[in-house]
Amino acid sequence: MTMRPSVRDAMLAAVPSLRAFAISLCGNVDRADDLVQETLLRAVANIDSFQPGTNMSAWLFTILRNLFRSEYRKRRREVEDTDGSYAESLKSHPEQQSRVEFEEFRVALAKLPSDQREALILVGASGFSYEEAAAICECAVGTIKSRVNRARTRLSELLAIEGADDFGPDHATRAILSAGGRS
Amino acid sequence: MQTDALIRKAGGGRLSREDQRRLGDILQRVYDDVVRQGVPDRFKDLLGELDGHREGADAGNPSARAQRDGAEQGSHDSGGLVEAKAFPHSKGSAS
Repeated sequence: MTMRPSVRDAMLAAVPSLRAFAISLCGNVDRADDLVQETLLRAVANIDSFQPGTNMSAWLFTILRNLFRSEYRKRRREVEDTDGSYAESLKSHPEQQSRVEFEEFRVALAKLPSDQREALILVGASGFSYEEAAAICECAVGTIKSRVNRARTRLSELLAIEGADDFGPDHATRAILSAGGRS
Repeated sequence: MQTDALIRKAGGGRLSREDQRRLGDILQRVYDDVVRQGVPDRFKDLLGELDGHREGADAGNPSARAQRDGAEQGSHDSGGLVEAKAFPHSKGSAS
Protein backbone atom coordinates (compact mmCIF):
# COMPACT_ATOMS: atom_id res chain seq x y z
CA MET A 1 0.00 0.00 0.00
CA THR A 2 1.38 3.37 -0.94
CA MET A 3 0.22 6.60 0.56
CA ARG A 4 1.63 9.93 -0.33
CA PRO A 5 3.34 11.71 2.57
CA SER A 6 1.13 14.75 2.10
CA VAL A 7 -1.96 12.56 2.46
CA ARG A 8 -0.60 10.88 5.56
CA ASP A 9 0.30 14.25 7.08
CA ALA A 10 -3.15 15.61 6.32
CA MET A 11 -4.65 12.62 8.14
CA LEU A 12 -2.41 13.17 11.15
CA ALA A 13 -3.27 16.86 11.20
CA ALA A 14 -6.97 15.99 11.37
CA VAL A 15 -6.55 13.60 14.31
CA PRO A 16 -6.88 16.12 17.19
CA SER A 17 -10.17 17.43 15.85
CA LEU A 18 -11.39 13.93 14.96
CA ARG A 19 -10.75 12.85 18.55
CA ALA A 20 -12.65 15.82 19.94
CA PHE A 21 -15.57 15.00 17.66
CA ALA A 22 -15.43 11.30 18.54
CA ILE A 23 -15.36 12.00 22.28
CA SER A 24 -18.35 14.27 21.94
CA LEU A 25 -20.21 11.57 20.02
CA CYS A 26 -19.57 8.59 22.25
CA GLY A 27 -18.60 10.24 25.55
CA ASN A 28 -15.77 7.84 26.27
CA VAL A 29 -12.14 8.58 25.53
CA ASP A 30 -11.05 4.98 24.96
CA ARG A 31 -13.93 4.19 22.65
CA ALA A 32 -13.40 7.50 20.88
CA ASP A 33 -9.76 6.63 20.20
CA ASP A 34 -10.78 3.21 18.90
CA LEU A 35 -13.25 4.97 16.64
CA VAL A 36 -10.55 7.31 15.37
CA GLN A 37 -8.23 4.36 14.74
CA GLU A 38 -10.93 2.50 12.81
CA THR A 39 -11.60 5.68 10.84
CA LEU A 40 -7.94 6.02 9.86
CA LEU A 41 -7.76 2.37 8.81
CA ARG A 42 -10.89 2.76 6.67
CA ALA A 43 -9.52 5.94 5.17
CA VAL A 44 -6.21 4.34 4.26
CA ALA A 45 -7.97 1.31 2.78
CA ASN A 46 -10.17 3.60 0.70
CA ILE A 47 -7.62 6.29 -0.03
CA ASP A 48 -8.21 5.90 -3.76
CA SER A 49 -11.67 7.39 -3.32
CA PHE A 50 -10.24 10.52 -1.72
CA GLN A 51 -9.70 13.31 -4.21
CA PRO A 52 -6.38 15.07 -3.59
CA GLY A 53 -6.86 18.75 -2.93
CA THR A 54 -10.30 18.32 -1.37
CA ASN A 55 -11.11 18.53 2.30
CA MET A 56 -9.42 15.61 4.07
CA SER A 57 -10.85 16.64 7.40
CA ALA A 58 -14.46 16.58 6.15
CA TRP A 59 -13.85 13.22 4.47
CA LEU A 60 -12.51 11.71 7.69
CA PHE A 61 -15.34 13.19 9.75
CA THR A 62 -17.84 11.57 7.37
CA ILE A 63 -16.20 8.17 7.76
CA LEU A 64 -16.02 8.50 11.54
CA ARG A 65 -19.65 9.53 11.79
CA ASN A 66 -20.80 6.61 9.66
CA LEU A 67 -18.74 4.18 11.71
CA PHE A 68 -20.15 5.60 14.93
CA ARG A 69 -23.72 5.35 13.69
CA SER A 70 -23.38 1.77 12.53
CA GLU A 71 -21.89 0.88 15.90
CA TYR A 72 -24.50 2.96 17.72
CA ARG A 73 -27.30 0.96 16.15
CA LYS A 74 -25.76 -2.19 17.60
CA ARG A 75 -25.08 -0.79 21.04
CA ARG A 76 -27.81 1.76 21.57
CA ARG A 77 -28.29 1.31 25.27
CA GLU A 78 -24.64 1.33 26.16
CA VAL A 79 -24.02 4.63 24.42
CA GLU A 80 -26.38 6.48 26.73
CA ASP A 81 -24.35 5.52 29.80
CA THR A 82 -21.68 8.16 29.58
CA ASP A 83 -21.55 9.99 32.89
CA GLY A 84 -18.74 7.90 34.33
CA SER A 85 -16.42 8.50 31.43
CA TYR A 86 -17.12 12.20 31.47
CA ALA A 87 -16.11 12.37 35.10
CA GLU A 88 -12.99 10.39 34.23
CA SER A 89 -12.06 12.63 31.33
CA LEU A 90 -12.15 15.63 33.63
CA LYS A 91 -9.34 14.44 35.85
CA SER A 92 -6.80 16.03 33.58
CA HIS A 93 -8.21 19.52 33.77
CA PRO A 94 -6.27 21.71 36.21
CA GLU A 95 -8.65 24.52 37.05
CA GLN A 96 -11.31 23.64 39.55
CA GLN A 97 -13.84 26.22 38.44
CA SER A 98 -13.49 25.27 34.81
CA ARG A 99 -13.62 21.60 35.71
CA VAL A 100 -17.06 21.98 37.18
CA GLU A 101 -18.23 24.07 34.29
CA PHE A 102 -16.85 21.57 31.78
CA GLU A 103 -18.35 18.69 33.67
CA GLU A 104 -21.83 20.13 33.73
CA PHE A 105 -21.59 21.13 30.12
CA ARG A 106 -20.42 17.72 28.95
CA VAL A 107 -23.12 15.95 30.88
CA ALA A 108 -25.72 18.24 29.34
CA LEU A 109 -24.19 17.70 25.90
CA ALA A 110 -24.43 13.95 26.35
CA LYS A 111 -28.17 14.25 26.95
CA LEU A 112 -28.86 15.80 23.57
CA PRO A 113 -30.22 13.58 20.81
CA SER A 114 -27.21 12.47 18.78
CA ASP A 115 -28.44 14.22 15.62
CA GLN A 116 -28.52 17.54 17.43
CA ARG A 117 -25.24 16.95 19.26
CA GLU A 118 -23.25 16.17 16.15
CA ALA A 119 -24.71 19.14 14.25
CA LEU A 120 -23.84 21.51 17.09
CA ILE A 121 -20.30 20.16 17.39
CA LEU A 122 -19.57 20.25 13.66
CA VAL A 123 -20.79 23.82 13.25
CA GLY A 124 -20.07 25.26 16.68
CA ALA A 125 -16.70 23.70 17.47
CA SER A 126 -15.15 21.85 14.52
CA GLY A 127 -15.39 24.91 12.31
CA PHE A 128 -17.37 23.41 9.45
CA SER A 129 -19.87 25.48 7.50
CA TYR A 130 -23.54 24.51 7.54
CA GLU A 131 -23.06 23.14 4.02
CA GLU A 132 -20.10 20.98 5.03
CA ALA A 133 -21.90 19.74 8.12
CA ALA A 134 -24.90 18.84 5.95
CA ALA A 135 -22.65 16.84 3.63
CA ILE A 136 -21.00 15.04 6.55
CA CYS A 137 -24.39 14.19 8.07
CA GLU A 138 -25.95 13.45 4.68
CA CYS A 139 -28.92 15.73 5.19
CA ALA A 140 -30.22 19.10 4.01
CA VAL A 141 -28.61 22.36 5.10
CA GLY A 142 -31.91 23.48 6.61
CA THR A 143 -32.00 20.32 8.69
CA ILE A 144 -28.56 21.10 10.12
CA LYS A 145 -29.62 24.65 10.98
CA SER A 146 -32.72 23.37 12.70
CA ARG A 147 -30.76 20.77 14.67
CA VAL A 148 -28.20 23.34 15.78
CA ASN A 149 -30.93 25.67 16.99
CA ARG A 150 -32.71 22.92 18.86
CA ALA A 151 -29.43 21.76 20.37
CA ARG A 152 -28.65 25.24 21.69
CA THR A 153 -32.12 25.63 23.17
CA ARG A 154 -32.04 22.23 24.79
CA LEU A 155 -28.53 22.74 26.18
CA SER A 156 -29.58 26.02 27.67
CA GLU A 157 -32.54 24.33 29.32
CA LEU A 158 -30.40 21.53 30.71
CA LEU A 159 -27.78 23.90 32.09
CA ALA A 160 -30.42 26.13 33.61
CA ILE A 161 -31.87 23.13 35.42
CA GLU A 162 -28.62 21.57 36.54
CA GLY A 163 -26.52 24.63 37.15
CA ALA A 164 -29.04 27.25 38.18
CA ASP A 165 -26.30 29.14 40.02
CA ASP A 166 -24.82 30.52 36.82
CA PHE A 167 -22.94 27.32 35.86
CA GLY A 168 -21.03 27.65 39.14
CA PRO A 169 -19.96 24.82 41.43
CA ASP A 170 -22.81 22.51 42.16
CA HIS A 171 -21.64 20.10 44.80
CA ALA A 172 -24.69 17.86 44.64
CA THR A 173 -24.22 17.34 40.92
CA ARG A 174 -20.53 16.69 41.36
CA ALA A 175 -21.11 14.16 44.11
CA ILE A 176 -23.65 12.31 42.01
CA LEU A 177 -21.32 12.26 39.04
CA SER A 178 -18.37 11.03 41.09
CA ALA A 179 -20.44 8.22 42.52
CA GLY A 180 -21.80 7.40 39.08
CA GLY A 181 -18.30 7.04 37.74
CA ARG A 182 -17.49 4.17 40.07
CA SER A 183 -20.58 2.10 39.44
CA MET B 1 -37.91 30.89 41.97
CA GLN B 2 -34.62 31.38 40.24
CA THR B 3 -34.57 28.01 38.55
CA ASP B 4 -38.09 28.34 37.20
CA ALA B 5 -37.25 31.73 35.78
CA LEU B 6 -34.17 30.37 34.03
CA ILE B 7 -36.05 27.45 32.59
CA ARG B 8 -38.78 29.71 31.33
CA LYS B 9 -36.26 31.98 29.74
CA ALA B 10 -34.41 29.12 28.12
CA GLY B 11 -37.50 27.30 26.95
CA GLY B 12 -39.31 30.32 25.60
CA GLY B 13 -38.11 30.05 22.02
CA ARG B 14 -34.92 31.47 20.53
CA LEU B 15 -31.97 32.14 22.76
CA SER B 16 -30.62 35.60 23.18
CA ARG B 17 -27.36 36.44 21.45
CA GLU B 18 -25.73 36.59 24.85
CA ASP B 19 -26.84 33.04 25.71
CA GLN B 20 -25.80 31.72 22.31
CA ARG B 21 -22.37 33.30 22.64
CA ARG B 22 -21.97 31.87 26.13
CA LEU B 23 -22.91 28.36 25.04
CA GLY B 24 -20.65 28.67 22.02
CA ASP B 25 -17.71 29.72 24.16
CA ILE B 26 -18.04 26.77 26.51
CA LEU B 27 -18.53 24.34 23.63
CA GLN B 28 -15.41 25.63 21.94
CA ARG B 29 -13.38 25.37 25.15
CA VAL B 30 -14.52 21.80 25.85
CA TYR B 31 -13.66 20.83 22.28
CA ASP B 32 -10.33 22.64 22.20
CA ASP B 33 -9.39 21.00 25.47
CA VAL B 34 -9.18 17.73 23.52
CA VAL B 35 -7.69 19.27 20.38
CA ARG B 36 -4.81 20.66 22.43
CA GLN B 37 -3.83 17.11 23.39
CA GLY B 38 -2.47 16.80 19.87
CA VAL B 39 -1.87 13.48 18.14
CA PRO B 40 -1.42 10.54 20.53
CA ASP B 41 1.52 8.29 19.69
CA ARG B 42 -0.75 5.38 18.77
CA PHE B 43 -1.96 7.29 15.71
CA LYS B 44 1.50 8.43 14.68
CA ASP B 45 2.65 4.82 14.99
CA LEU B 46 -0.38 3.51 13.11
CA LEU B 47 0.09 5.79 10.12
CA GLY B 48 3.84 5.29 10.27
CA GLU B 49 3.41 1.53 10.01
CA LEU B 50 1.11 1.95 7.04
CA ASP B 51 3.69 4.14 5.39
CA GLY B 52 6.69 1.83 5.43
CA HIS B 53 9.28 3.69 3.47
CA ARG B 54 9.06 6.75 5.69
CA GLU B 55 9.01 4.87 8.94
CA GLY B 56 12.71 4.17 8.95
CA ALA B 57 13.56 7.84 8.66
CA ASP B 58 11.11 8.95 11.31
CA ALA B 59 10.82 6.16 13.82
CA GLY B 60 13.75 7.21 15.99
CA ASN B 61 12.86 10.85 16.09
CA PRO B 62 9.22 11.42 16.90
CA SER B 63 9.67 15.04 17.90
CA ALA B 64 11.17 15.92 14.54
CA ARG B 65 8.27 14.18 12.89
CA ALA B 66 5.79 16.07 15.00
CA GLN B 67 7.46 19.34 14.15
CA ARG B 68 7.36 18.53 10.48
CA ASP B 69 3.70 17.60 10.68
CA GLY B 70 2.90 20.88 12.38
CA ALA B 71 4.95 22.95 9.99
CA GLU B 72 3.58 21.41 6.84
CA GLN B 73 0.00 21.25 7.86
CA GLY B 74 -0.59 24.36 9.92
CA SER B 75 -4.15 25.07 10.84
CA HIS B 76 -6.08 22.26 9.22
CA ASP B 77 -9.48 23.57 10.13
CA SER B 78 -9.38 26.98 8.55
CA GLY B 79 -7.89 26.84 5.10
CA GLY B 80 -8.78 24.83 2.07
CA LEU B 81 -12.32 23.86 2.98
CA VAL B 82 -14.22 22.86 -0.09
CA GLU B 83 -17.76 22.15 -1.03
CA ALA B 84 -19.04 18.90 0.32
CA LYS B 85 -19.60 17.60 -3.19
CA ALA B 86 -15.86 17.16 -3.40
CA PHE B 87 -15.96 13.92 -1.42
CA PRO B 88 -18.80 11.97 -2.97
CA HIS B 89 -17.22 8.58 -2.36
CA SER B 90 -17.12 8.86 1.38
CA LYS B 91 -20.51 7.28 1.90
CA GLY B 92 -19.50 4.08 0.24
CA SER B 93 -16.11 3.95 1.82
CA ALA B 94 -17.41 4.05 5.33
CA SER B 95 -20.36 1.73 5.12
